[in-house]
Amino acid sequence: MNTPYGVGIGWRPEISGFVAELPGLRFVEVIAESVPAAGPPPDGLLELHNRGVTVVPHGVRLSLGGAAPVEPARVAHLAAVAQLLAAPLVSEHIAFVRAGGLEAGHLLPLPRTHEAVDAVCANIARAQADLPVPIALEPIAALFDWPDDELDEAAFLNEILERTGALLLLDVANVYANARNRGTDPVALLDRLPLERVAYLHVAGGAERGGFYHDTHTDPIGREVLELLAELCARHRPPAAMLERDGHYPPAGELRTELDAVAAACGFPVVT
Amino acid sequence: MTPAGAGPPDPTGTPTGTLASRQAELVAALVADGPPPAGFAPGPLAAARAALLRKRAGEVARHWPLLAAGLGPAWPTTFIDWAAGRPGGGGLRDGWELARALHARAALPPLGAEELAVREAEFHYDGHRTPRRRRFPALGQAGGAIAVQFAGRVRLLRPARP
Repeated sequence: MNTPYGVGIGWRPEISGFVAELPGLRFVEVIAESVPAAGPPPDGLLELHNRGVTVVPHGVRLSLGGAAPVEPARVAHLAAVAQLLAAPLVSEHIAFVRAGGLEAGHLLPLPRTHEAVDAVCANIARAQADLPVPIALEPIAALFDWPDDELDEAAFLNEILERTGALLLLDVANVYANARNRGTDPVALLDRLPLERVAYLHVAGGAERGGFYHDTHTDPIGREVLELLAELCARHRPPAAMLERDGHYPPAGELRTELDAVAAACGFPVVT
Repeated sequence: MTPAGAGPPDPTGTPTGTLASRQAELVAALVADGPPPAGFAPGPLAAARAALLRKRAGEVARHWPLLAAGLGPAWPTTFIDWAAGRPGGGGLRDGWELARALHARAALPPLGAEELAVREAEFHYDGHRTPRRRRFPALGQAGGAIAVQFAGRVRLLRPARP
């Protein structure tokens, strides 16, 4: 059971062939909800697992930040996938995805209030009680803030990490997106986060649209995000960093160039 | 611990309510044409609403690749026009309902018709609950395309009218 190391990539069925042929690859992440709890995992993923590549299940539908208690069946699914893939850890988001019987369809930000901290910490504790491995929490990219905010982002995240003892999954593109949309300094946030608790990093591309920077995962990684990644790694380099791509897949050569750029920014060996 | 909904009184008129009710209001405003929740800046909220629709379009395209391919560059707009204000039911169901709606107004492209015919042969979908795999032989038809399912295997017998 190896913890994530070096440059990884989000495994998706559409790029399974490309990922299978990365000679130096030691870790991938898979969307937990896309793997059946009873198995088998998708063929391409199973081959990687059998080759010794670490697979981290990444949940997107737990809704840990929901005011309602996290659904035990969803935690059980994440736990089963972790066991199926002998994962060293799992990850999820500090976000909610449904409320009042409606699905939002994607991750939504919490108000940065003490009430929300209590709610999310209670749900994380419920999840931790039923998970066989540690959980890493990912702060999301938010296009809006709540009017209720009492804490700034760093205080909010630190409070949650301290109370739950969870690891941090830091998405450099999310840090960049939030800072750009709020007009704040992303490096100032990095300075206040416990970088030594980062299990691994996410890196992804985005695009400007209608005056907002969108964390699309369907565009190339921008120069500013790579610079922020290098800045972070110069302070304290986490054990691993991975590329998230969720559509508009470019030719293999371009994806390899992106993986090499992530490796260069972090000072990791190339995996291509 | 702060009890739910019992924060200090707010002199600025910031909206109150429990976290649960505030989250429900927000999601309804984002996906179901609910009233804008008090205190939120409208511009960023509109951007989030549009971003959620684009994410849904991507998810539906993964479940219905031929439908999306058949619509080509018109795909995102076609989906978003249909989905705006309509809460999502997941990629499989959303795509199914869109395909049926397009079929009903004779706007389903041939590739989408073939995909719909194959799905109709394979699953029973009542428009409300998760589609169920059919246990008996069945035909699926859309836009001239005919698919047949026998013992769980589905074949397209006739392509859609071009």
